[in-house]
Amino acid sequence: MEFKDYYRSLGVDKGASPDEIKKAYRKLARKYHPDVSKEADAAARMAEVNEANAVLSDPEKRAAYDAVSAQAAAQGARAGAEFRPPPGWDTGFEFTGRPQDAGDYSDFFEQLFGQGARRGGFGQGGGGAERRGSDHHAKIELDLQDAYHGGTRTLSLRAARPGPDGRMQSEERSLEVRIPKGVREGQLIRLAGQGGPGLGEAPAGDLFLEVHFRPDARWRSVDRDVYQPLPLAPWEAALGASVEVQTPSGTVEVTVPGRSRAGRKLRLKGRGIPAATPGDLYLEVEIALPPADSDAARAAWTALGKAFPTFNPRETQGR
Amino acid sequence: MPHAFHLPAQMAELLDDDSLTLEELARACRRAPEWVSEHVEAGVIAPRPTEGVGLVTWRFASTTLVRARRVAELEDCFGADPHLAALTVDLMEEVGELRRQLRQLRPTGPSP
Repeated sequence: MEFKDYYRSLGVDKGASPDEIKKAYRKLARKYHPDVSKEADAAARMAEVNEANAVLSDPEKRAAYDAVSAQAAAQGARAGAEFRPPPGWDTGFEFTGRPQDAGDYSDFFEQLFGQGARRGGFGQGGGGAERRGSDHHAKIELDLQDAYHGGTRTLSLRAARPGPDGRMQSEERSLEVRIPKGVREGQLIRLAGQGGPGLGEAPAGDLFLEVHFRPDARWRSVDRDVYQPLPLAPWEAALGASVEVQTPSGTVEVTVPGRSRAGRKLRLKGRGIPAATPGDLYLEVEIALPPADSDAARAAWTALGKAFPTFNPRETQGR
Repeated sequence: MPHAFHLPAQMAELLDDDSLTLEELARACRRAPEWVSEHVEAGVIAPRPTEGVGLVTWRFASTTLVRARRVAELEDCFGADPHLAALTVDLMEEVGELRRQLRQLRPTGPSP
């Protein structure tokens, strides 16, 4: 187990006041907040900062940590070095704070506070109490087609669970999940009983997966509706055509009306994300130009220009 | 060594717009049910419109859970007032949506 220097994580000295700890924590929480941070390791740093704050902002845990640090220093341990607290180190400490979530903190934290928390009067009820496990949260990225067809994904998760000796230990597990059809961007999938373990006979918490779709040049979703570009040759757009289109639900034949301009939307009702009331699929017309890369092609473009001597594509622009 | 195990399909439940009760929302945010009712009364988070009256009939969309967790986290981290936390979350949601649109304009996925 790696010894953690929580004071160094927050950038404060050992004599820091509660107010100094709070200020240092808030500054770092802002810096490493996953929604704003540009730092590559923001999530890992935020977890470290959260853990340091959970200990140093709680007078009981801070006192216990200071005692362990002093023992560690006497043993010559430094931050990052292997460390094992001596048996009975926490005798005399009673933790009364809020229940902590298994899996959110390091092995070091779990070793110091996890077991004590579960054995002692940590949270409501104390020893022998039963409490449902905490809910856990994770994000997953899917392809939009998964919303149409469903799919199976293997997730890799890390969580702390009680080992055979009752001590908390970190466990990496891999979970194969069947993604239900009809899932939308931002929606949650609940996996019952896959969160933190319960205390005593109480049930485990749930695992919530927040769904996001990978960006794809072929299509995008807005709620249950799906938008897809439909490139057309100038003559198809001008004269109308019957074209084959690859959609997320398969190939469809679409009748394009004549005089279609770029930006026109063709709605295919019910071909969006499946549901009791499915979304619609919108094909957005784009005009694709054939390349003028041969004498014949250049002659064809010239002839086209001559056929429309008064056509001015910029006539709507102000002069 | 990580061990893989397979979850039966019925265990993966898609949370729709009115899936979560007040207690479930509170638990998933690691808060007391009173925290949820106070934040609903303050207009910070909103239940889905339902026909019944009272807290028991409240149902929440799964996207509300994501929002409520962010509000709770901002209150915890910065000691933020619920309305300030809600304003920040409004902006985070807007930035998230703009980033999503921007990613769509510069996609990295397969092209046609």
